[in-house]
Amino acid sequence: MMIVSIDPELCTGCRECAQVCPAFAIEGEQGKPQTINADRCVMCGQCVQKCKSCVSLVMHGKDAYDRVRRKRNLPVNTTEPLFAAHAVCNLDKVKAALADPERFTIVQCAPAVRVAIGEDFREKAGALTPGKLSAALHKLGFDRVYDTNFAADVTIMEEGTELISRVKDGGVLPMFTSCCPAWVRFLENTYPELTDHLSSAKSPQQIGGAIFKTYGAQLENLDGSRICSISVMPCTCKEYECERPEMKDSGYRDVDVAITTRDLAALIKDAGIDWDTLEEEPFDAPLGIYSGAGTIFGITGGVMEAAIRTGYELVTGEAIPKVEVTQVRSTEGFRRAEIRMGDLTLKVGVVAGLKNVIPVLEAVKAGTLDLHFIEVMTCPAGCVSGGGQPKLLMDTDLEQTLQARRGALLDHDVELPYRKSHENPAVKQLYEEFLEKPGSRPAHHLLHTSYRS
Amino acid sequence: MEKKIGFFVIGDSTKCTGCRACELACFTVHDQKENHVGKTAGTVSIPVVYRLFLTSFEEGCMPVQCRHCEDAPCLNACLQKAISRVDHQVIVHPEKCIGCKDCMQACPFGAIALLPYCRDGHTVAQAGAQEARIFASKCDLCQDRPEGPACVQVCPHQALRLVDPEKEREEKNIRAAQTLYLTRNSREGGCR
Repeated sequence: MMIVSIDPELCTGCRECAQVCPAFAIEGEQGKPQTINADRCVMCGQCVQKCKSCVSLVMHGKDAYDRVRRKRNLPVNTTEPLFAAHAVCNLDKVKAALADPERFTIVQCAPAVRVAIGEDFREKAGALTPGKLSAALHKLGFDRVYDTNFAADVTIMEEGTELISRVKDGGVLPMFTSCCPAWVRFLENTYPELTDHLSSAKSPQQIGGAIFKTYGAQLENLDGSRICSISVMPCTCKEYECERPEMKDSGYRDVDVAITTRDLAALIKDAGIDWDTLEEEPFDAPLGIYSGAGTIFGITGGVMEAAIRTGYELVTGEAIPKVEVTQVRSTEGFRRAEIRMGDLTLKVGVVAGLKNVIPVLEAVKAGTLDLHFIEVMTCPAGCVSGGGQPKLLMDTDLEQTLQARRGALLDHDVELPYRKSHENPAVKQLYEEFLEKPGSRPAHHLLHTSYRS
Repeated sequence: MEKKIGFFVIGDSTKCTGCRACELACFTVHDQKENHVGKTAGTVSIPVVYRLFLTSFEEGCMPVQCRHCEDAPCLNACLQKAISRVDHQVIVHPEKCIGCKDCMQACPFGAIALLPYCRDGHTVAQAGAQEARIFASKCDLCQDRPEGPACVQVCPHQALRLVDPEKEREEKNIRAAQTLYLTRNSREGGCR
């Protein structure tokens, strides 16, 4: 199934998308419609964000809009411009689940969604709207509004524990983060010999999915088979991730449907919900309670910072002196830092944008890169710049918009009552009641995976 | 500097890739106020209507737009007085336009298209019919925009440029004069 494609009727062959594609997957002659090489494509959706060639009355005639809208399975009252490069839309599946009284619907939202979705309702760039987001999801009829931020906190518990044990017990190093499915796919496709460097912890989306259909079902006193698990992601690749055949450790498909931030905005409009007058609501407890560490997963360097906030305590038994680990906050290609943790000096690297990863991988292969832990995010500024985020009409607004989204996530981190994943009371409760401890057998069964090599 | 004649935007087919960022920016900035178009695609509730037109031909492509002619055929042709000259630029007043197509016929560049007229985020219906009202859509040089024409600003390859014809002529005069001075000097070189 193609998650991202280019409509030959609308493509002018400008190849601007090929400039931003980190996987060299866009093929075609200049001036002729382009095609995506499905084997190479990592489905990051950067081409979708870049493309400016939309259906127009001048170029394509009066009936083209409806024809393209139908072909893409978009809601009937869609009004936004339809571009040549586009991602698959699964809103019909979400609507069907919401309409089915037998299904218990659980939704989760990635960190970056709450600092971007407002833009599709004319809020200022980077408007921080977790309360409105939760209110809109409740209004749409989801039975539980849980959160990927919570799952990100669980990811840190698992990934952090794995890292420390790899460092102490001589495991494969450097360890790579595994939350970005486009990066995982790129590594599997291009450097299969390096996949044992990936953390075995699943991504927050998949950890959330696996928990909702097991522990979540237990909390509701219902069978996991009745749950329809839906995720709202800034990412076009998350649908691919949840369709991976191994992602069914709950006993069912862990996440049934992934939609994008843009899709959710369209769904809210389609349901006639007035965003401006929504009264803020919290996410549902307990699996919607999150820390600042889970929140900063949405920006480059965020996973690293979240891991260090918890890892420091795992190694030293003491709280980290300064919660903000600014050394790893990176928006540049590849940043390295060293973090003192008692007797251990943790050497880390942060790759912002998949285009910058190849020299890093070559150095790992050659054994010349002396690092313990490397974060890799495919999209240039991390998930805030994901392929499923609200799409800018003018690229001159790009830099300021990404900065605003990034700033909003950092602000949100500061204002939250808990800023470290291991301090999240819902995470503690999950381990006490269900998973024993990070890296335990049940945790491994549900929350870890293996890769193609 | 005071304007003596109208400015215009011109495309360069040697630089243009045909990405249509100019068209989308043109639409965006013209519909922010009246049609509530925000910064993202999700805020758009009306058809994408723009005022310059990407034109492909065998050797390449470039956007074509209004030259703001001094003896403007469109302005002269418009019986409704829906086109006037404002600060040396040729401007359409869409509320007066009846869609008669005289300007379209008169324009030698094809720089005017008849496109749906939208207000408050909706297409406006014709007085006696269901269909949308249409208006003569053409470049107004983003006259209310302090940053100047949006198309010029967003082009990723600087394939569009705002021409101040009088200033460019003066600059060419100076270059020509300097060249003449140099040729003359080198011919007579060393004699002084």
